[in-house]
Amino acid sequence: MSLPPGSAVAICVLAVAVVFAAWCLVDLARAGQVRHLPKWAWAVVICVSVPWGGLAYLIFGKARPAARMPRQAPAAGEAGVAAGGPLPAGRVPVSPLVIEVDELTKRFGPVTAVDALSFTVRPGHVTGFLGPNGAGKTTTMRVILGLDAPTSGRALVGGRRYQEIIRPLHVAGSLLDATAVHGGRTAWFHLLSIAQSNGIGRRRVMQVLEAAGLAAVAGRRVGEFSLGMKQRLGIAAALLADPAVLIFDEPVNGLDAAGVRWIRQLLKSMAAEGRTVMVSSHLMSEIALTADHLIIIGRGRLLADTPTDRFVSGTHQDVLVRSPRAGELAGLLTARGAAVRPEGDGGLAVTGLDAPAIGDLAAGHGIAVHELVPRHASLEQAYLDLTGASTAYRAGTSALEGTASS
Amino acid sequence: MTAPQIAAAGRAVPSRLVRARDVLAFEWTKLRSVRSNYWTLLIAAVVTLGVTAIVAQSIASAPARPPGGPMNPLSSSFLGYGEYTVLPVTVLSVLTFTSEYASGLIRTTFTAVPRRGAVLAAKAAVTGAAALTAGELLAFACFFLTQAILSAHHRGLALSHPGALRAVLAVGLVLTACAVVGVGAGAVTRHTAGAIAAAVTVIYLLAVLCLVLPYPWNVRLGRFTLPFAAYQLVTLHPQPGLLSPGLSMLVLISWPAAALLAAILVITRRDA
Repeated sequence: MSLPPGSAVAICVLAVAVVFAAWCLVDLARAGQVRHLPKWAWAVVICVSVPWGGLAYLIFGKARPAARMPRQAPAAGEAGVAAGGPLPAGRVPVSPLVIEVDELTKRFGPVTAVDALSFTVRPGHVTGFLGPNGAGKTTTMRVILGLDAPTSGRALVGGRRYQEIIRPLHVAGSLLDATAVHGGRTAWFHLLSIAQSNGIGRRRVMQVLEAAGLAAVAGRRVGEFSLGMKQRLGIAAALLADPAVLIFDEPVNGLDAAGVRWIRQLLKSMAAEGRTVMVSSHLMSEIALTADHLIIIGRGRLLADTPTDRFVSGTHQDVLVRSPRAGELAGLLTARGAAVRPEGDGGLAVTGLDAPAIGDLAAGHGIAVHELVPRHASLEQAYLDLTGASTAYRAGTSALEGTASS
Repeated sequence: MTAPQIAAAGRAVPSRLVRARDVLAFEWTKLRSVRSNYWTLLIAAVVTLGVTAIVAQSIASAPARPPGGPMNPLSSSFLGYGEYTVLPVTVLSVLTFTSEYASGLIRTTFTAVPRRGAVLAAKAAVTGAAALTAGELLAFACFFLTQAILSAHHRGLALSHPGALRAVLAVGLVLTACAVVGVGAGAVTRHTAGAIAAAVTVIYLLAVLCLVLPYPWNVRLGRFTLPFAAYQLVTLHPQPGLLSPGLSMLVLISWPAAALLAAILVITRRDA
């Protein structure tokens, strides 16, 4: 049951009528044509109260059942996602959705925060969105969520611009800044207001509070919350409508060990259910255990878009060699085209030749080898190597040294 | 705002009215769930009634024919209201936007409801309705308090006196207009201090500025400011040099309309 179309117009007409009636009454009274109270007092009461009453009835009375109906009796294709079950229910959402960022550029005056960035975040994976501070991660996420308008290019969620989605929380849940809450409001009212904005019921608010471990403090004001509790509250808000897409900006900031584990398990289970999960971080160590796909940006440009396990093997690796005749061996290796870098403790870091080739070469010339270790860079090291050139804000080492010595 | 809207996958598109109700409920819950709002209103009401009582007492004890003409027993009922109710309520209205901008909550709001015009309309409607309710209640309280004190000296008015009920009702509308001006100012400036300055300028200072202009420009321009328009609606004997009460009503709704227009132009074009 829905109200007839054009009721919005009717409301506007009513509002105009109130103003017009008031105007007429005021002018009539001024002209002295109305001497006795009852005549126009009745008119005032009717003109002011009836439209307001009608408006209130239209907004709060009649529309409620219409909004509840689909949740009480979910249609076949709907699966009652809005109402939600217990949170990690292992259900596959209605339809998996991708996030597409296409040639996205965002400039703030002379500063280019995001520079022709293109990538796709696919369902079923936790996608880590990595970059140093100032790389443009948050700006990209804001454009995806329709908060910032792109200078050029576009960002789509499920094939549509976020701003065009009706009740968008049912499509994408997001957490950009956990501290962005009104400290004077309780957790319950904070979530309830967000739920109401997208037609989500009170039961679901209680469910996400329980899932986030905040049910006991639902009645407390958010201003008293620790950063970790605010993170949980923000994640609860993102999960309110059980969306197919989740976008989190630095969600583990400020969480304790248990909270970090909760988030990791939550993200993995959400991805396992077929959702699209995009998590930003500036630290590889936070994301390495959780994300199975990495999108790395620096200075607003795409640096890498790769599965996590292939990221390491595709980057920096070398072989550590120790030998009593290291100098001689180094000469031989260089002659074969390998790059040799002496390490502080007498070892050689060799790149360009693999361990068997180095061993064979040493054996061929009768050089003893005491240690021969192929080394993979850690995820962290690979990430630092990749983003090293694009770090926007870096401590000036030489300047610091100068200060220390003076 | 003309972009096509598409519902979440697999769901029926909720009607415009349902969505309007959602946004109104969103803003109403936010307004009613902050305890300081109630305290501010309560203190404003207590101070207003106190000042009203003092004003009434001083009128009641004045000589029968004071120099400068008799005090108007109707409009003087609202001397306290004009400052100690209007100012706090304006500040509360400003805060509906600026507190969200200050904390960053505005991004949550715009993520939940990407149609920013709807957010603005809902904030204005909810704040305006709350101001109308509080304003009318206080207006009647001020009127009856003043008349009770005056009637002890046989100078009081009855509500049935011609023009009295109209004036009392108009006082509530004045508060609504000021509240909506506050909402618009908050949306435009984003910062509490700037928004309060802007709202106070529109509500009080423009009239003061016009007063210092040379005659006849002080009246010509001054009659379009909110205080003069409000006076014409509240007094028993409208000043002939100023606008008629009907046109003053139009002025009263034009200022909030202008504030909302400026707000909608700005917030739909600006990054949140």
